[in-house]
Amino acid sequence: MKSTKFTPARKLSKEEVDRKWWEIGDFFRRNSLWMLMYCTGCCAIELPPAMTSAYDMERLGMGPMATPRQADILLISGYLSVKSLRRVIYTYEQMGEPKYVVGLGSCPINGGIYHDSHAVINQLDQYLPVDTYVAGCMPNTESVMNGFVDLMEQIRNKTAKGWVKYQENNEWYKKNQKAALGEVDVHDEFHE
Amino acid sequence: MTNSMSNVEYLKGVIGQTYKVLETDVIDQYQVSFVVKQDDVLQVLVTLKNAGWIQMSYLSAIDWPDENKFEMVYILMNWERPVHVQVRTKIDRNDPVMPSIITIYPGAKYYERECHEFFGVKFPGNPDYEKQLILELWDDMPPLRKDFDPQAYSDRKFTKREYSEDYKVLSEEPSKKAKRETRKERAESLKGGPKS
Amino acid sequence: MKQMKLFLGPQHPGMHGNASVHLYVDGDIIKRSFLLPGMLHRGFEKGMERHSWVNNISLIPRVCVVEPDINEMAFAMGTEKLLGIVVPERAHWIRMIILELARLSIHLMAYGGLGGPTGNYTLMYHAHADRNSILDIFEQITGHRVYHQYIVTGGVRKDLPKGIEKDIHTFIDSLESRYEEYRDLGIENPSIVARIKDTIMLPESVVWELGVTGIGMRSAVGKPYDIRKVMPYARYDQVDFEVPTSDYSDARARIDCKLKEVIQSISIIRQCIEKMPLGPVRVPLGRGQSMRWTVPKGYVYSPVESSRGEFGYYMVSNGGTHPWRIGVRGASYPQGLLGIEKYMPGTRLDDAALWVDTMGVCSPEIDR
Repeated sequence: MKSTKFTPARKLSKEEVDRKWWEIGDFFRRNSLWMLMYCTGCCAIELPPAMTSAYDMERLGMGPMATPRQADILLISGYLSVKSLRRVIYTYEQMGEPKYVVGLGSCPINGGIYHDSHAVINQLDQYLPVDTYVAGCMPNTESVMNGFVDLMEQIRNKTAKGWVKYQENNEWYKKNQKAALGEVDVHDEFHE
Repeated sequence: MTNSMSNVEYLKGVIGQTYKVLETDVIDQYQVSFVVKQDDVLQVLVTLKNAGWIQMSYLSAIDWPDENKFEMVYILMNWERPVHVQVRTKIDRNDPVMPSIITIYPGAKYYERECHEFFGVKFPGNPDYEKQLILELWDDMPPLRKDFDPQAYSDRKFTKREYSEDYKVLSEEPSKKAKRETRKERAESLKGGPKS
Repeated sequence: MKQMKLFLGPQHPGMHGNASVHLYVDGDIIKRSFLLPGMLHRGFEKGMERHSWVNNISLIPRVCVVEPDINEMAFAMGTEKLLGIVVPERAHWIRMIILELARLSIHLMAYGGLGGPTGNYTLMYHAHADRNSILDIFEQITGHRVYHQYIVTGGVRKDLPKGIEKDIHTFIDSLESRYEEYRDLGIENPSIVARIKDTIMLPESVVWELGVTGIGMRSAVGKPYDIRKVMPYARYDQVDFEVPTSDYSDARARIDCKLKEVIQSISIIRQCIEKMPLGPVRVPLGRGQSMRWTVPKGYVYSPVESSRGEFGYYMVSNGGTHPWRIGVRGASYPQGLLGIEKYMPGTRLDDAALWVDTMGVCSPEIDR
């Protein structure tokens, strides 16, 4: 005889419900990443072939975005001079969370060919948290696209947690920034 | 366009007649350089501008720490008689002062500002040559001098990542090269001295 | 009305390169403007003193990122003048092909860059697709898409690969057949012409005051003042080409000159491929290109005609293995710094990015 009893499903706890919303959010986030248009260094010359019809970036869902308030990815294309780093930090702190940083080229990794220069910082992840690096000098456009796909995989596996690290270790990042830059605020009165 | 050798001769005539030139160097048919004294530089540039060299190409300085002098260089171009002229002069390194040429060539304003920033040369006559143009909040000596070491500056200011040291020594025996050396020494001591 | 301070800042979709322009704006008209360079500063001139003459080949192309071959050419020509060596014949013709292909790629990029500030993105897509084909040809010849390190002291590094002439001809024929389409999309397009006709003028007195060279000078003065014609280097005197000039120097005339230069470059490349003799391509510099070769004492300035003007390297050697001083004369230094300070006020705010594009301001060579 078949039993007619039924057991109701167990109610999900609050953390599990949150996690499911985050997974849905991550699905949409990784399939439609918007990249801030900021060409910081030499590797930015491999971005126009990626953005236009040669190696189309829009089929992955990515597109350019003009303001940092509405962008997801900050792309550090190449080396960062000291003057540029101040403005990049401003831009990074203006972006809304969750946000990701991708470093192109070998200059953010260890300084690259300018490692002994007085105006170029050496390792980027002492000042900002970086999620993906793309090595090369300069990397091919296909490698850049591979880097973006890698970032999407990381978002799916929930290992792209750079913005959480920035919040938790804020004093360490600020201490390094102050030691290298002297002063993180931008004073623009050079021509006045 | 006239014949190039005659352009160079024309130039030598224009400059050599009125000013004392310390050294002339004809590099090829399109380039000539003159070394003059510091006080004559403004007059030489005015003469060249009146003779047709109306475009200023480059202005900079070279550092000679052994002689304790800076060498200023001005490069001018004339498109009708195509010859590049380099005018060079040496000035003192401890207190480098050079009158500004923006009354003759207005385009030199930013070249002089950059020269001050990278070498420390003063240009009285240029209104704001002391403001920083390319560097920001710079706190060390002017970077293009020969006694500035950029590697030391970079090591001091920019933090480094720490790499963990995880190597291990595989075996405690001496290396093959060390073994070869000991064998050779022993062989030589047995035979009675090294081979000549 | 009070003046408002705005930044056509480093992070901007219309800005070429990483430099920022500070604008003081009253309503819509710019009253004062200054360029803030220095964000791409890497300390090149100091770095070149620390590398030896042979090692510098890896650092040299990175000075100007969109057109790296002019750097190598200026450096190689300067050291060859100091050393007094003669480069083999075939190397001159190969150098000309590489330089003209680089000129094509940067003219296409600048023409496509017109599409950004005016909102005409189709132009940008066409231009960058063609430029990608040029980068693929470079990859076949030299091994890298952007930084070639191919033109060295003594010739070029290796001979051209077999079958490359067919690829170059295919690309050039396709570009030439679509030339009318390019003109129709950009410079004859009424919506773009309304922005660039009779605006951003460059009179002749300004050219001599600032020291502007290149297309700006040729369109303002009206004479063919081009280093390739006036002081020819690398067999440019054995090739037939014209230098386009114009009488009326507004933005449209300068872009028109650029497009005509594209056609001239195509004809130069065709003539080079025909006239190229066979032979060696490199002169050994003593003891197998060892790291210790020295250059005799001297001071030399070697200019090259880039797409933006006169680009030169001033090299000083004291007879050692390392250069004593290398100074880079960026071609857009005059119009970038003094031009923006004195001659940009008066334009409207929407034309600021267009001013920077049509005057040919390239920020890596201002900062070095």
